[in-house]
Amino acid sequence: MNPETILFLSNLLTAAVLLATPLLLAALGELVVEKSGVLNLGVEGMMLIGALFGYIAAYNFQTITCLEELIPGMCTKEERVFTFTDYLLALVSAALAGAVLAALFGFLTQTLRANHVAVGLGLTILGAGLTNSLGSNFFGVNYTSVQVADHPEVFGQDLLVWFSLLAVPVIWYALQKTRMGLVIRAVGENHDSAYALGYRVARIRFWCILFGGAMAGLAGAFIVLVHVDWKEGVTVGKGWLALALILFGTWKPLRVLAGAYIFGLLWASELRLDNLFPAYQLEWKTMLTTAPYIFTILVLVIISRNPRMIRQNAPASLGKPFNPPS
Amino acid sequence: MIQLELRQNTNWWTSLRSILLALLITAAFSVAVLFVMSDRPADAIWQMLSFPWQGRRMEVQFGLVLQQSAYLAVIALGLSVGYRANIWNIGAEGQFAFGSIGAYAAYLLMGSPDSGWAFPALLLAGIIGGCLWAMIPAFLRVTCNTNELLTSLMLVYVASHLLTYLCIGPLKGDPKAGQAETYPIAESVQASKLISGTELHTGLLVLFVAFIILAAILLFTLLGYRLKVAQHTPRAERFAGFSPNNTVWLSFAISGAMAGLAGAVYLTAETGKLIQAENYLENFGFAAIIIAFLGRLHPVGILLAALMISYVNVGASYIQASLQVDDSVAELIEVVALFAFLGCAVLDQYTVKFKRTTTRKVA
Repeated sequence: MNPETILFLSNLLTAAVLLATPLLLAALGELVVEKSGVLNLGVEGMMLIGALFGYIAAYNFQTITCLEELIPGMCTKEERVFTFTDYLLALVSAALAGAVLAALFGFLTQTLRANHVAVGLGLTILGAGLTNSLGSNFFGVNYTSVQVADHPEVFGQDLLVWFSLLAVPVIWYALQKTRMGLVIRAVGENHDSAYALGYRVARIRFWCILFGGAMAGLAGAFIVLVHVDWKEGVTVGKGWLALALILFGTWKPLRVLAGAYIFGLLWASELRLDNLFPAYQLEWKTMLTTAPYIFTILVLVIISRNPRMIRQNAPASLGKPFNPPS
Repeated sequence: MIQLELRQNTNWWTSLRSILLALLITAAFSVAVLFVMSDRPADAIWQMLSFPWQGRRMEVQFGLVLQQSAYLAVIALGLSVGYRANIWNIGAEGQFAFGSIGAYAAYLLMGSPDSGWAFPALLLAGIIGGCLWAMIPAFLRVTCNTNELLTSLMLVYVASHLLTYLCIGPLKGDPKAGQAETYPIAESVQASKLISGTELHTGLLVLFVAFIILAAILLFTLLGYRLKVAQHTPRAERFAGFSPNNTVWLSFAISGAMAGLAGAVYLTAETGKLIQAENYLENFGFAAIIIAFLGRLHPVGILLAALMISYVNVGASYIQASLQVDDSVAELIEVVALFAFLGCAVLDQYTVKFKRTTTRKVA
């Protein structure tokens, strides 16, 4: 292979990792939620809130020292130090923000038994609205001036990339091989039987929802800390793609991993394809940005054509209202 | 701990009580938000409640409220048809965009006519456009059993990019405009004003009539009854010989048509031309989802909810101008209202008991 091809491929892979990791994080979190029988459609909203809070935290935790002040009162050359601890703190803030929003979902759907779909959609709208108003309050109109220093890397990749990859076997093991996983699955398969056995269905689901929220928050943080800067609606529907990924992976962590990376690769090659078009053909670039969404629809169509596959693997109580006998 | 006990009988009073409680929670939260976001909270609250009487012309402000609520109510009523039967069309935003595109395409196909008779044709084209776009998720759901919720949402992204594509590409109008837009449609084809100085125009009248017709169908005909059966007992629906697939087709067709009509009216009355998506789409399609749930999927409720939310929205933009309070207040109030209404709905069917959970060991 000539060096150009190798460079092209390595660029493609780097872009694929950047696109796949947030999808994988959010999808793994939501996988646990759905395994416990809850359908949380608010992933997009939780990702947005995680992204904003992660960004604000990173912005505040980084240390800026002025090296050169040619004009008094205006820094012309500055150094931004963003340590590993700062980075971790930003991630924790993002996860907490996601979990707080998830707790709201949990309270409404588990304690007050509201409709999952309605509350989930509301959560997405709330996340978008809240981040738009908080974001413009915090950063003002001048978004471009905000810069977060480089994220620390481990073995050439961001920490969260390794974390997301590690989470796949951990979640698989936790769900399939541990007592806790068995209880979560029991609650998701048949909440009435689980309740009859003495498990606190609502409480178990609540913890799963919190976990899903934290993972979605991390996914959002990855987007703004590693991939692109914060702007309104920065997640561009990735939360919804994560939901589609779970269907694609038929509720199996390994398949979700595969799906996330296939998706990342395709999205990345679409972005590379973008460069082939000359700059004046802006209209074609606009059409090309719809590719991931059309691809998602195609994937969903192919997967759902085999209803047995879905029926065998979907948690039986997914999204069904739970009314314990009193 | 909080414990819920199933109510033996439910009546109108239990429903009304939970609605009133939800309104109270929303009001309390709104006051709290205004206290945080404004330096003069008392003025902000007062102006938000009484803004139509604050300015010089009351009818202008009420016109704005009616204008917005017409779009929201029509789209929300269309969506509620499917939601009653657990068919989740959340892509009304895309169907709205396609209604506009359809209307504009019809205008071009008719050779840019310059007479008022083209107006109804444009609206019809909008209905067809929205309907066709909504048929995609319906078709996939019926033939491939694809999750309609995800596909209808994905199509919103596709539709809005397509709108932008049309505006910067094949239908590009004045290149000197600050945004990508098409050439405007002829003045005579646009909706005409009913009362000069206000935002009330014939398009809103069309939306109002469409709302009444659909509401009447849902409330008083066999079709409406059929959808009600599908909502409450899907099994009975099948026993009665109603096909679930037809319910999918029907609800997507209706919601797509309503959103498409709203899109066509928006094109002919508000903008007069297509504009790139971020400047054209005002999230009516997503706000309508909230309205549908606030109105408990009932036509009367939806109308009241649309009026209430529009009042809040217009009030928020009023205090943004007068008191510099960010108008995102409205968005927050909207979502809190949604959560309050969904949460309080539990009181319809359950009584809430506060008990101390004690673990007792039986000897």
